[in-house]
Formats: sequence, C-alpha cells, structure tokens
Amino acid sequence: MKNNNSQKNQKLRNDIILAVVIVLIATAGLLLFVFNREQGTTVSVKVNGTQIASYPLAENREVPIKTGDNDEHINVLVIKDGKASISEADCPDKICVETRAVSYAGETVVCLPHKLVIEITNQNADGGIDVAV
Amino acid sequence: MLIFTDSIIGGDKMKKVISIFMAMSILFIQILTFVGCEEKSKLNKYSNYYFDYFDTATTIIGYEKTQEEFDATCEEIKTLLNEYHRLFTIYNRYEGLNNLVTINDVNDGKHDVVTVDKKIIDMLIFAKEMYQKTNGNVNIAMGSVLKIWHIYRNDGLDDPVNAELPPMDKLEEASKHTNINDLVIDEENNTVFLADPQMTLDVGAIAKGYAVEQIAKHLEEKGVTGYILNVGGNVRTIGMADREKWKVGIENPDTENKEKPFIEYLKIAGESVVTSGSYQRFYVVNGENYHHIIDPETLMPGTKYRSVSVLTNDSGLGDAMSTALFLMDYEDGKKLVEETENVEAMWVMNDGEQIYSDGFKNYTFDYEAEK
Repeated sequence: MKNNNSQKNQKLRNDIILAVVIVLIATAGLLLFVFNREQGTTVSVKVNGTQIASYPLAENREVPIKTGDNDEHINVLVIKDGKASISEADCPDKICVETRAVSYAGETVVCLPHKLVIEITNQNADGGIDVAV
Repeated sequence: MLIFTDSIIGGDKMKKVISIFMAMSILFIQILTFVGCEEKSKLNKYSNYYFDYFDTATTIIGYEKTQEEFDATCEEIKTLLNEYHRLFTIYNRYEGLNNLVTINDVNDGKHDVVTVDKKIIDMLIFAKEMYQKTNGNVNIAMGSVLKIWHIYRNDGLDDPVNAELPPMDKLEEASKHTNINDLVIDEENNTVFLADPQMTLDVGAIAKGYAVEQIAKHLEEKGVTGYILNVGGNVRTIGMADREKWKVGIENPDTENKEKPFIEYLKIAGESVVTSGSYQRFYVVNGENYHHIIDPETLMPGTKYRSVSVLTNDSGLGDAMSTALFLMDYEDGKKLVEETENVEAMWVMNDGEQIYSDGFKNYTFDYEAEK
C-alpha cells in the first residue's frame, strides 16, 4: 500500500511536471508570437527613396533628420504615444509639419522639398492600410 | 487545465494519454500558426518614392519575390512617369521637346500650330471629352484664370501675413479667354493650335490621373500585378495585394480631428481611387482657407463639399470626375455618377455627413472589426 502510494505520488509529480512544462512552453510561444507582432510596427525614415533609419513606434523619441546634398536641411521627427509626426522643418512649404501624426501601417508624412518620407510599416501586414487617399 | 486535473485524480492511463495528446495538439496548432504566418505570403511587400514628377510625391508599392524584380518594375514606371511629366508639365521647358509649355508660349506673339507627341494629342482629346461629360466643370482651357490663383497662392504661402485674394476683375478678364473650342487639335498631323492668343492650358485636373492610367495599362499588358501607383493621391491599383485586396483609407477632410484619420475604408483590386478636397492644397487669407479647385462659374474655390472621393476603374476618369463632382450640385453630380459606367462616389458635405452613390458601399469594410 505504501509502495503503491509513493508510486502514485511519483506519477502525480511526473504529471505535474509535464503539465507545467507544457504550459510554460505554450505561454512562451504565445508571448513570443505576440511580442513579434508588436515589434512589427515601425517608423521608417526614407530620404530620396532610400531608408536611412527605422524606429519602433512604441518608443517615444525625437530625432533630427538631415537631408540635402550637404546635410544642410533638417526635419525633426517626433515619435510620441504611438504616433509619428514632423515637429519642425526648414522646408519652404511646411506641409510636413502641418500633416497630422500618423500611426496606421501604410500612413505617411511626406516632405516634398526635402524628398523625405516618414512611413509606418508593419512587417506582419495584418492591420493597417496599403494606401491613404 | 481541466484535462490535467482529470488525469491526476483519475490516474487512468487512457485519460493521461488523451491529455498528453491534447497538450501536444495545442503545441502543434501553435507551431502551425507560426509556420502559417511565415508561409502565408511568399511575396514580399516593397515600396519606393519619387519626388520629381507632377509636382508631387509618387509612391509605388509592389509585391514581388525579390527586391531586384521590384526595382526593375520601378525603373520602368519611373521612365514612363518622367516621359509623361515632361510632356504634360505647364511649368518646365525641355530642350528639343514640344510640351504644354510650348503650346502655351506660342501664344506670345508668334501664334502658330505646334507639333507635339501623340501622347499629348491623346490626353487633350480625353480632356475635351471630359469637358463635355462634366458639363464644363473640368476645363483645361482655364489656364489664364488658374495662373492668377497659382501666383496669389504661392505668394500667400511664401508670405502668409500679406496673403491676398486675386481681384475679381482680374479673374473675370482672364475668364474671357477660356473657351475650350479655341483649342484646335489636328489628330492626323499631331498638331495643336490655340485660336485665342490669350488662352492657356492648365491640365492640372486631368493629366496626372491620365498619365497614371496609361502607365498602369502598360504594366497590366505586360502581366505586372500586385502594384499600387500613387501619384499625389491619385491612386491606381494593379491586381491584388498578394492574395488579398488592397486596403485603402479615405482621409478625413477634417484634418484637425486627430483621433479619426480616416472616414472610410475600401477594399479594391485593380480599381482607382481619387479624392478632391478643400483640405488638400490651400492658402490662408484673413483666417479663411482658399483651396486650389476653382469653380469655372464663380472663378472662386468650390464651397459645396469638404471632399469628394471617386472610385472607378480608370484613373484618368477618376481624376476628372472627382474635380467635377466637387464643383457640381449634388443632384447633378449624382446623375452624372449614375449615367457613367463603373463610377462610384462618396460626398463629404460641409456638415461632415457622408453621402454614397448606390454601389460605393460594396467596396467599403469595417476597419476596426477586422483589425
């Protein structure tokens, strides 16, 4: 009887270990999946068609972006509360500064005179739009 | 979790096997989900930007297997954009090329016919058709009037404190030289002649969309698919986005509303969407916005709507129709949409109300629900 009991305990322990391991693996997998999705949303900075930088949309920051042949022009990119915008620029029309902050994948802020595009991208392509009209 | 408890209490071997089997199934499904995401789209999404054409930004989005394939298609698009831009521009001269500037300039004294590329002839014929179709609301012979607005707007943007409206007598004088019939096209000899020496052409409401349509057609004939051409908000899709339709957000004309960037979402595959709105290109005089879509009747910016979006399978038609509908009374516009094949429209009234043509809603979807 005693022997049987310890055997039962052994079995129970094995079961619990198995259960815990499976739950852990499953949770880790799920977390990794969700985390990857979150990371998918980035702010990509392109000058004259070439990507020069990219930042996670989730992290607040302020970055001066130099453009022009001799880096003589400037646009200030602000990422705040999950939205990206241009706060300052020395371009003539200031359309980029007036453009509303973008957050959806596929949205852009464009500075035509400086050939600058701030683009929200999402690697996983779920969510977001392809183009704004 | 229930399955584990069951197996522990019962200690039944069968139950245990089942529980392990189920746990493995969960893992298996998870793995499938991972792999599924990887394999769902074999093609990659690429994008590219150009800034030198039609005085606006061009975006190209495309699904291809490799960057090289995407770049090759972009090069082809760029070559065509460059060609159409040089022909249709009303601002730039090019050595050895007769373009719209040449046609407009010949007015200054010499007053003669100009031989031009067939592409210009075709575009001008299309523009005349659009004049008829839109009851004169799209009139490329309005150059003299639009030039005045252009100058006042640019001055106003450069020096906002001293921004002024063009004097009405100046606009009225210019509007005497806007008769489309004075644009004489000789299709056989590829020549253009402006019978009124004070008339000039401004193809701003038409040329961009027309050029985009021609380029898209060219690509389609070559079997290209999975692309978006977006030339300054003139959007034309080519095929599908990989295996799904393209998702298009229609901008909220109330640009102050930071919470709601889009007022409607569309799913399309091969169609074109163009929006004309008072929020797009404007300057401010005494606290009032004055935008760039000028009503041929009043010679002032149209005030009937905040924006009008047109969904069609022809980007040239879409460009012209969005301008025309923006300027026309709703009843007339609705009639025009109904009698034109493959055209749907959404009007955003001045109070923000959205009015749809009969078939427009067939293309809309609930973005929040699908997120």
